[in-house]
Amino acid sequence: MNIKEYISTGVLEAYACGQLSQDEINEVEKNLALYSELSKELSIIEETNAALAQHFAITPRARVKEKLFTQINNAPASKIISLASHSTKYWRYATAASIAFAMLSSYLAFNYWSRWKQSETTLVSLISKNQQIAQDYNTVNQRLDLMELDFKIASNPDFARVVMKGTPNAPQALASVYWNSASKEVYLNIQNLKQLSKENQYQLWAIIDGKPVDCGIFDWQLAGLLKMKNAYKIPTTFAVTIEARGGKPSPTLETIQVAGNMLTI
Amino acid sequence: MLTIASTITEQELITRLMKKDQSALDYLYNRYSGALYGVVLRILKKEEPAEEVLQDVFLKIWDKIENYDPNKGKLFTWMINIARNQAIDKTRSKENSKIKKTDDIDFLVHKIDSQQNSQLEVDSIGLKEVLMKLPVDQFFIVNQLYLQGYTQSEVAEEFNIPLGTVKTRLRLAMIELRTLLNIK
Repeated sequence: MNIKEYISTGVLEAYACGQLSQDEINEVEKNLALYSELSKELSIIEETNAALAQHFAITPRARVKEKLFTQINNAPASKIISLASHSTKYWRYATAASIAFAMLSSYLAFNYWSRWKQSETTLVSLISKNQQIAQDYNTVNQRLDLMELDFKIASNPDFARVVMKGTPNAPQALASVYWNSASKEVYLNIQNLKQLSKENQYQLWAIIDGKPVDCGIFDWQLAGLLKMKNAYKIPTTFAVTIEARGGKPSPTLETIQVAGNMLTI
Repeated sequence: MLTIASTITEQELITRLMKKDQSALDYLYNRYSGALYGVVLRILKKEEPAEEVLQDVFLKIWDKIENYDPNKGKLFTWMINIARNQAIDKTRSKENSKIKKTDDIDFLVHKIDSQQNSQLEVDSIGLKEVLMKLPVDQFFIVNQLYLQGYTQSEVAEEFNIPLGTVKTRLRLAMIELRTLLNIK
């Protein structure tokens, strides 16, 4: 084997740097054992590498050495384990406490939220009930006002009541008129009148001096007293006919429903 | 901790290390930490990871001294190889993935210069001046192997240079450096 040629391939440098495969390492080591010149050359190479490394040394910061020795001195396994288990225990308790606290908080939060939600619902329903009651109260109040007015009319001696009974056209029909002899006001009160189609309305007439005078139109469904047109002079008779919606200037006598004579005063 | 005389034989040092004598590690650190840190820092280019690696290297030497076989080379050669391998492993870990291996030497020197350690600066400039005296082809190989953390076969593959050529150029560069640095 040509030793110089072998050396010049740089295989020993590669060997010194640990850059060879296991097969190549085995071969180099075999040759090193066989040829002392190779061992010598390897020595020189190693020294060169070492010298290069020392030549270009960079002093590390002091803390590296401190850390290194701290780590070596803290190495005993028991110490590390006890430290670890201690801190693990602490964290376990801390975690457990946190979870418990979180669960409790969540429960309380949910509980209060539900209650609040419930209160809100109750409040809304109370407010709406309150509004309903207020409305009812107003309605009742209005009706009461109307009834008071009706009562005043009925109990006022100035008003004469004329009962209009059913004609052969509508034997069951019944209505009344209150006529104020002083103010000439006319109020109508329906006891029983049949339902009309939408095209038709009832019309009240007062017979004055033998002639029918229009006292206004009205629909069949009415509660309480309805103020009609004033009837001047002294009517002798009141009557109701069925007319086309809007009424007519003179009555259609064939449709007369009720009629009643004023009692002579 | 016992102090060790300024020079002791390598055999004695190894024996003491095997007995877990911390004064032996102290001696080893004082004598070689700078050289190993240089190797590591040139590959990693950042002080923080380089310091971590250096600490790991000494821990490994401390823990695995039984693995050292004197028949296969000097203790320092073994240590340099551990340092080199650990540094290369680090560059390949995610942590250091940001550093490009293809940084050129000027960029590297600039980076090292910009660090605050003035000692570092002087050493880096010294290295650059020395390496610049090498023929370009040799400089390239040394740069890739010693400063970029490539293995010989990686340089061969990546730059399309026959592995044999990488080896011979490195050998020529080492011979040149021996002369340049007045070794032996």
